[in-house]
Amino acid sequence: MTVRVRVRNAETGSSVDMELEEENTVQEIIEGAAGYWEKDAGAYVIRKGKKLLRGQQSVLESGLTNSDELELIPDPEGG
Amino acid sequence: MAGALTPEELDGDRLDRSRRVGWIDVDAVRSKRCLVVGAGALGNEVVKNLLLSGFGSVTIVDMDRVALTNLNRCMFFTSEDAELKRSKALVLSERARHLNPDASVFAFDSRIESIPAGVLREHDLVFGCLDNVGARLHLNAHAYHLRIPFIDGGTLGTRGKVQVVVPPDSPCLQCATNRTHAKVLEKRFSCSGNDVSYFQPRFAAEITTTSIIAALQVREGLKLASGHEDDCIAHILYYDGLRNAYETVEVSRDPECPVHA
Repeated sequence: MTVRVRVRNAETGSSVDMELEEENTVQEIIEGAAGYWEKDAGAYVIRKGKKLLRGQQSVLESGLTNSDELELIPDPEGG
Repeated sequence: MAGALTPEELDGDRLDRSRRVGWIDVDAVRSKRCLVVGAGALGNEVVKNLLLSGFGSVTIVDMDRVALTNLNRCMFFTSEDAELKRSKALVLSERARHLNPDASVFAFDSRIESIPAGVLREHDLVFGCLDNVGARLHLNAHAYHLRIPFIDGGTLGTRGKVQVVVPPDSPCLQCATNRTHAKVLEKRFSCSGNDVSYFQPRFAAEITTTSIIAALQVREGLKLASGHEDDCIAHILYYDGLRNAYETVEVSRDPECPVHA
């Protein structure tokens, strides 16, 4: 089954819709969105509301459903 | 009049204003031994805040040297330190100790991976002020194994984050990583035959964000030291300085995380 979600870029506020299969993983969403926005190489995470989605989880395991809104956030690495 | 307080007595306690906060247990704070890993921008600010807050013992670990590019955000470093390529850990320990002469300040001019095995277990709180994923995950794993709370900070331009890890129940740093973190690690250390090339990224960084993230780290340390664990960040706070936004997000424990095995 296909799930359509919207991913928001936390740095710019722009959004992109992604069509996902249940077996797609969260890290594929992260890499897909980071690639779409041509992000610098770096660490990113994705959240749905107040929850950070784990990279290894599939769309099904993450409980993602149609029209969910996700946010791509750069994971600050500097000290 | 016998027994009357004088203004001098009232003002004789350097931590009087901290005591007035109420929930801060100044005596418990004084008894805690803190390990600060990374003596760069976050390390400067965290050590300053720890000593002014009354923590009784602070150990600083860093193998790096002061560089001129540190000086936009490191209050204890000078251009002379940069010219002489002085040890960040040693300079920070020398300059910060005057903030609280009652505290003990120690320094290791060393990588965290190289400090003696027993050093970590001698501490009650660990503060991550590092600039790379690899050292963070190393520290995370060891602190978790020893059941020592770990308060990690990170910055990127005017963004930052603080993660509080309290073993044995909370999720850890490793639980919140994904393949993009692994790629950063791969890029940093690329091996080809006998050669190991080391890539040092140049992150955007400025003092106001550093100050805020370091302040949040030390405030979480004050909560843990004072018995207010339930009021700590659960589990990661993301800060966006441009939009004045703070967001706390929950992380679930990864059942396959090697740190919890």
